[in-house]
Amino acid sequence: MLDVLRLVWFDLKHELYPPVWIGLEWFSFSAQIFMYGALMSQLVNIPGIPNYQQFYAVGFVVMMTFDVGSHAGREFVEAAHEGRLPYLLSLPISRSKLFLSIALKGGLELALMLMVPFGIILAMIGNLSLVSMAAAAATLFFLGFGIAGLMLGLSFIAFKSSDMYSAITTGLSALLIRFSTVMYPLMFLARASPGYEVVARFSPLTYGADLAHLFLGFDPGMLLNPTIAVAVLTALAVSTLGVCTFLLQRLVEGVKSG
Amino acid sequence: MTELVNILRLARSDFSYFFRTKWLMAVLLSLNLSDMLIVALVYKQLISSFNYFQFFVPAIIIMGLFVAALDTGRRIWLAIREGVTQYYLALPISTQGIVVAYLLAGGLAAMVYSASLMLIALVILPITAVWNALILLPFLFFLAMGLAGISATLAAFASTHGEFFFAYQQVVQILLLTMSTVYYPIEIVKNYLPPFLTSIVSANPLSLAAEAMRDAFLGNSVPPSSLLNILLASLPFTIVGAAAYFIALRTIQTKGKP
Repeated sequence: MLDVLRLVWFDLKHELYPPVWIGLEWFSFSAQIFMYGALMSQLVNIPGIPNYQQFYAVGFVVMMTFDVGSHAGREFVEAAHEGRLPYLLSLPISRSKLFLSIALKGGLELALMLMVPFGIILAMIGNLSLVSMAAAAATLFFLGFGIAGLMLGLSFIAFKSSDMYSAITTGLSALLIRFSTVMYPLMFLARASPGYEVVARFSPLTYGADLAHLFLGFDPGMLLNPTIAVAVLTALAVSTLGVCTFLLQRLVEGVKSG
Repeated sequence: MTELVNILRLARSDFSYFFRTKWLMAVLLSLNLSDMLIVALVYKQLISSFNYFQFFVPAIIIMGLFVAALDTGRRIWLAIREGVTQYYLALPISTQGIVVAYLLAGGLAAMVYSASLMLIALVILPITAVWNALILLPFLFFLAMGLAGISATLAAFASTHGEFFFAYQQVVQILLLTMSTVYYPIEIVKNYLPPFLTSIVSANPLSLAAEAMRDAFLGNSVPPSSLLNILLASLPFTIVGAAAYFIALRTIQTKGKP
């Protein structure tokens, strides 16, 4: 276990000295919630959601989770291209411990990035039980692992062309976020175009956002069935992480560093 | 005359580099088109007081211009980091010439990119007075030069601080976009922010350009005072950016590194 912790620290310390990216996430959250969210809240009129700023704040944390998860995938690809991965693979440590350290590092990074924004949301909404707070946090972690797994699964493209990988993942990210319920409830996507609702049901962010909104006290009538959301998120995290662990063990052994 | 030809050659090279960066094109297009075709349409359903689609689509053209112009800084930063700048300094072109070439290329690339967004916007939001929109293009070019100037300043500052350039860029991007009338009307801003900050929002070049673009899309002629304001608001950024980049180049010339 000490080996795993040492590897986690080896990767994590770059984020902490200095903590520019963590601070930037916090700043970005504050600007988005206290400017964009607050001003849009005066314009938006959703029956059942009296305060759009709170709805948007929860959605924004889901977006942040998505960003951190996809960053983990991109970082893995960078590590392969910059030669850090072949170095890690040459260490006297088992592959399972190496992947465990990558997953743990991702989890800790997510916790560091979300700590302050999540605290602000809890303070904004207020009157929440410990169980609902813990359930919302667990939803975010599950979603983070699922997205990281998805991006890692796509990393085989990067071994052919890193430009193509960047283009596909960024394009996919924009579409997954827009076609989801992070910024607006599903019924309004359907009102904009019935096709949008269908596409949104394929976005994992829809399930993550609706579940997080549910645990944080938003009207269940506007959200997806929580049982389905839990099933989708669990399936996503387990399947993508499982498949990518299986694939990567084969891919990385002969990885090109060019 | 030779100097002018060399400036244009260098500008052409940087201009084509922007459009040849596939991942960047994927990022910009996926963000701007999904904002236009998904976010604007869904928010139209959420906002009952006015037509948000008509309000937001013209502003997305300005957002595209802004983000494309900011990429000038990334190209400058990359050239400094990878030693391409030293190569440029060895070319038969003055240091001022290199600065002018980069700002011209940045302005032109952003203007061409936003013009392509404008064409798409004209398809989904038909207007009767196309001429009103087209007359804005030269002013958008000046605005893009100003925004490229901001980005050049960031690149010059970040040249000694590694990848912090992206952190600076993100902070500027968030501040300029949220403190503008790109997303919300000025009346809403007045209700929320103190008068001092409201005047900053009004004077923000992105607000000025977004308002002018909205006027054009509504079929109204854009007041000459608005066009003049865009020029006046862009000029200081262009000058500061040019000076910062010039100083960075001079430092490289004398010390051999930033």
